[in-house]
Amino acid sequence: MAQKLKRKKSLYQRGKENKKVQAALTVLLPVLFGILVIALWQGQSLHKMFHTDTYTLPLPTKIGSIFMDNRDKIWENTVATVSVAFIGLMLGSLLGYAVAILASFFPKMGKGGLSIIGAFASVPVVAMAPVLNNWTKDISNEASVRSMVAKIIVVMLVSAANMSLNAYRGLTELKPYAEDLMATYAAKKRVILVKLRLPNSVPYIFIALKVAVPASIMTTIVSEYFAEYITGVGRQIRENIVLAQYSTAWAYIVTACLLGVISYVILMIVQSILLRKHQ
Amino acid sequence: MSEAVKKEVEIEIKDLGVTFQDNSGNDVQALTGVNLNIYKGEFVSLLGPSGCGKTTLLRSVADLQEPTEGTVRIAGMTPKEIRMQQKFGFVFQQPVLFDWRTVKKNIELPLEIMYYSKEERSQRADEMLEMVGLKNFANHFPKQLSGGMQQRVNIARAFGLRPEILLMDEPFSALDEFTKEKLHEDLLQIWRQTNKTVLFVTHNIQEAVFLSDRVCVLSPHPGRLSAVVEIDLPRPRTLEMKETQRFNELVTKVRNSFEGGSV
Repeated sequence: MAQKLKRKKSLYQRGKENKKVQAALTVLLPVLFGILVIALWQGQSLHKMFHTDTYTLPLPTKIGSIFMDNRDKIWENTVATVSVAFIGLMLGSLLGYAVAILASFFPKMGKGGLSIIGAFASVPVVAMAPVLNNWTKDISNEASVRSMVAKIIVVMLVSAANMSLNAYRGLTELKPYAEDLMATYAAKKRVILVKLRLPNSVPYIFIALKVAVPASIMTTIVSEYFAEYITGVGRQIRENIVLAQYSTAWAYIVTACLLGVISYVILMIVQSILLRKHQ
Repeated sequence: MSEAVKKEVEIEIKDLGVTFQDNSGNDVQALTGVNLNIYKGEFVSLLGPSGCGKTTLLRSVADLQEPTEGTVRIAGMTPKEIRMQQKFGFVFQQPVLFDWRTVKKNIELPLEIMYYSKEERSQRADEMLEMVGLKNFANHFPKQLSGGMQQRVNIARAFGLRPEILLMDEPFSALDEFTKEKLHEDLLQIWRQTNKTVLFVTHNIQEAVFLSDRVCVLSPHPGRLSAVVEIDLPRPRTLEMKETQRFNELVTKVRNSFEGGSV
């Protein structure tokens, strides 16, 4: 009996110290939790807990079948959302990075400029989106084009603010004596930028993207609510709720979740490849 | 001394003073009234306890610190002119290695900045890695090395540059005794071969005496040059010399020349 207890403990201890077991658990536990929630949902325990019915909160199987039936239309709307999010994220991040480089060249003005950008970034998307719809109404005769431009600009602003603040830190928070070292080599500003500041900022780019990638999708979805042209995953959620087609709305909610998770996973993979040297 | 007088003056420090402002806005004299001539090819140590301004003096020579009073001239030019001509090699207290570069690429960094050819860079880096005993770590990244190994890369990077003037700020203080002794010998050997001027900051009396032609003793509050001790041990120096009576006499002489009983 005593022996058995001892062995049990050592197995538990070994599991605790084994990194592979730990890594597996970090994946396994959330997945198990997810399965539990879905099981409660399908078994209608969730409905009892929240005092709701299967019409407002359709069962997972129902959502699944609606998802499969509408997959062409969902795909179409996904492409619309992803292209706005991606283009906005890319343009915004590039813009933000360029602003950060400028700010690092003129630190006195740069710091002030960045705090203004920070203030802009805290303007809620729900406030920004309608304003930009209004501003971009003369851009094109096509409603689809001017709506897309308006949405891209909102995503751009959010991503740019986030990137510029983080990239500025990466460009300026250097190891002690690193700048002195470059000074003893009489390195020019351009050389210091290329050989020291830019590589130093790479991890900070990923810090920015970790926030900006999910935020770009969320911002796109919210902007779609206010857009003139009816398209995108976010807009479909709204349209279907208005029409009381909750199952379809839920199919789009599932799509939005998948978009967020998949884009984050892609980012993590890219990071693990590009940041090997930094870790 | 008479022999030294005949030599060409390389670094001329006149009435040098540096004043900082502390956090509450008060002036703090880090260094005052320093007069010192360093000759071409000479190995000079700046020795003193912390707060004596030895690093400030070194940084003033390297044009990393603007003096408040007095002047520094190097071969008749200002420190800035010498810096812009890329004639300094500076070894900082901390390794200051770039994490995204391999050990070898770190050693090649200054050579890259100075537009050396790829073959030359690679060849010099290999040479230096051999010298500091890190040949097998060429393709490692700095974070994979111990602190002592990182500091050896730091030193290799400065040597690889073959600078006219080598400025070293307590380069060995973080190393274990074995590595330190080996690098002392390496440093002296390279110095003898290249005959460059070395200015070496340390707080270790034995180290200063073992390495130097002259030991400049600095005292704190305010930082000032309180004595210059000629080290007449024969060259090349060997580890056995540390056991000799003359070595111990010189160590005692240096220790006694501190002012204010700060040691």
